[in-house]
Amino acid sequence: MIRLQNVTKVYEGNVIASKDVTIEISRGEFVFLVGPSGSGKSTLLRLMMREEKPSNGDIWVAGKHASGMPGWKVPHLRRSIGTVFQDFKLLPTKTVYENVAFALEVTGRPRHVVRSQVPQVLKLVGLSSKADRYPRQLSGGEQQRVSVARAFVNRPLILLADEPTGNLDPATSVGIMRILDRINRTGTTVVMATHDHAIVDAMRRRVVQLERGRVVRDQSRGVYERRTEPASGPPLPPSEEPVVTPPPPEPEIAKVEDAAPTEEFKAWSESGGEAS
Amino acid sequence: MERKRGRGLLMRIQYVLNEAFNNIRRNPLVVVGAILAVFITLFLVFATLIAGEIARVNTLRWTDDVRVIAFLDDDADVDTLRADIESWVEVEEVFYVSKPEAYEEALELLADQQTVLETLQDAPEIIPASLRIKPVEIGEYDVIENRLQNMIGVFSVESADAAIDAMNSIRGTLQTFSLALAIALGVAAVALIANTINMAIYARREDLEIMRLVGAGNWFVRTPFLLEGVIEGLLGGAVAVAVIVGLYRLGLGSLETVEIITLEVDSEFLFTFGLLIVTFGAIVGLIGSGVSLALNRYIRS
Repeated sequence: MIRLQNVTKVYEGNVIASKDVTIEISRGEFVFLVGPSGSGKSTLLRLMMREEKPSNGDIWVAGKHASGMPGWKVPHLRRSIGTVFQDFKLLPTKTVYENVAFALEVTGRPRHVVRSQVPQVLKLVGLSSKADRYPRQLSGGEQQRVSVARAFVNRPLILLADEPTGNLDPATSVGIMRILDRINRTGTTVVMATHDHAIVDAMRRRVVQLERGRVVRDQSRGVYERRTEPASGPPLPPSEEPVVTPPPPEPEIAKVEDAAPTEEFKAWSESGGEAS
Repeated sequence: MERKRGRGLLMRIQYVLNEAFNNIRRNPLVVVGAILAVFITLFLVFATLIAGEIARVNTLRWTDDVRVIAFLDDDADVDTLRADIESWVEVEEVFYVSKPEAYEEALELLADQQTVLETLQDAPEIIPASLRIKPVEIGEYDVIENRLQNMIGVFSVESADAAIDAMNSIRGTLQTFSLALAIALGVAAVALIANTINMAIYARREDLEIMRLVGAGNWFVRTPFLLEGVIEGLLGGAVAVAVIVGLYRLGLGSLETVEIITLEVDSEFLFTFGLLIVTFGAIVGLIGSGVSLALNRYIRS
């Protein structure tokens, strides 16, 4: 679904953000990109969504040669990619419903598609009852759920999330993660950059660890910090800046049943999602 | 999730129009500034065009009357002279006015000048016969005049030369002037429109960022801004035409007393050039927004 082949990205002033990165992500995978700030997680995501072009190497996304396509083809690529950011990027003048509908409207979807898809995806994220609220009337977690709904309303093949829980407390983060997990279970490939140890350790999904632009570990069912098992990447150089953030206390999933979960949602959580 | 093209398209058109008008409403002061710039530009251009047209109509009118007049000696060989002159390439037509005809004409022309008329009636033979010559081109009257002066049987040559020269030169100057004006002011108007579009884009940068992220088509993103520019240009052009036509009508009423020069211009001319001016306004708007879109960093993909 996503393939990076010897990708190097050098920003102006000789800042190396990615160095010889080769990753292959299959359809339906859930991948965490971890590593300290400045290790190149966001750069990789930006390269995948073709916000940037690599200085070297090739990138294929959703069967398309993303690094080689001309600018005018990018909108088409973006329709198969949903994106979620730390700062939500919601439009303050639009309601929850309108924010989600916006993604469909501006890609020229007919009205009946908008009318059927938006309520469905709002139900998925548990915000049906707040469709007419404005972003400022919502909590951070709710705003991020709107943002996830907007990213997913197009039913993209791929969801790229850049620190989606970066602004949220641990309990709220778990709520977001359950939604992402749910989306992943529909067959959508999810790539998420994060700092959050607790989430990575609880989910036990593939972990790609970056350090100064290089992949230093690529491990399936991994945890945030490398412990014993060897990585498939090159050996880890002695870490200059050890990851200092102590892992937050393990969140209790049971407490996060806020915001009126939908029937669908309850069924999922009772069946025991991987996150729990 | 199959796409119904027709309805999607209708929604797009509706969206584009809504966005364009919303942008205009959001920033009224800047928009008014841009419209004014287009208005002033096109007002001056249209005014010069009309002035040029007035000059052209008048030269034409005079041209129609322009005859180089060769007054003949009483003993001149009229037929030979006439045949000779008619053979020149610069000459379109030659009329012969005999002494009695010239006398009749003079009586008519001088009907209200009793004393001159009486003198004339005493000596009808002082009005000479003449050949009236119409040049092919207005500019060639002086060539004809020179050749006539040396002919036997011609005692005097006259034409309305100074007036024609003046009129022609005014026309030329006006045309150059209006062209230069149109270019200089056009550039200013384009810059001002580009500025309003830049501001509209800046006001909507968050929306645009999200549109880019979710994969809105390039034209879908750009068309509202292009349309905004075109609407502003059209408005400026329309106001210019309305004001000019209004002022012109008003001025025509009070200035009609000037006799030698007609201030009247074909209403067909006004209509055609009015349309042209409005179209020109739209083009200025389109170029302005095009420039802005090409350079704006929130738009470039």
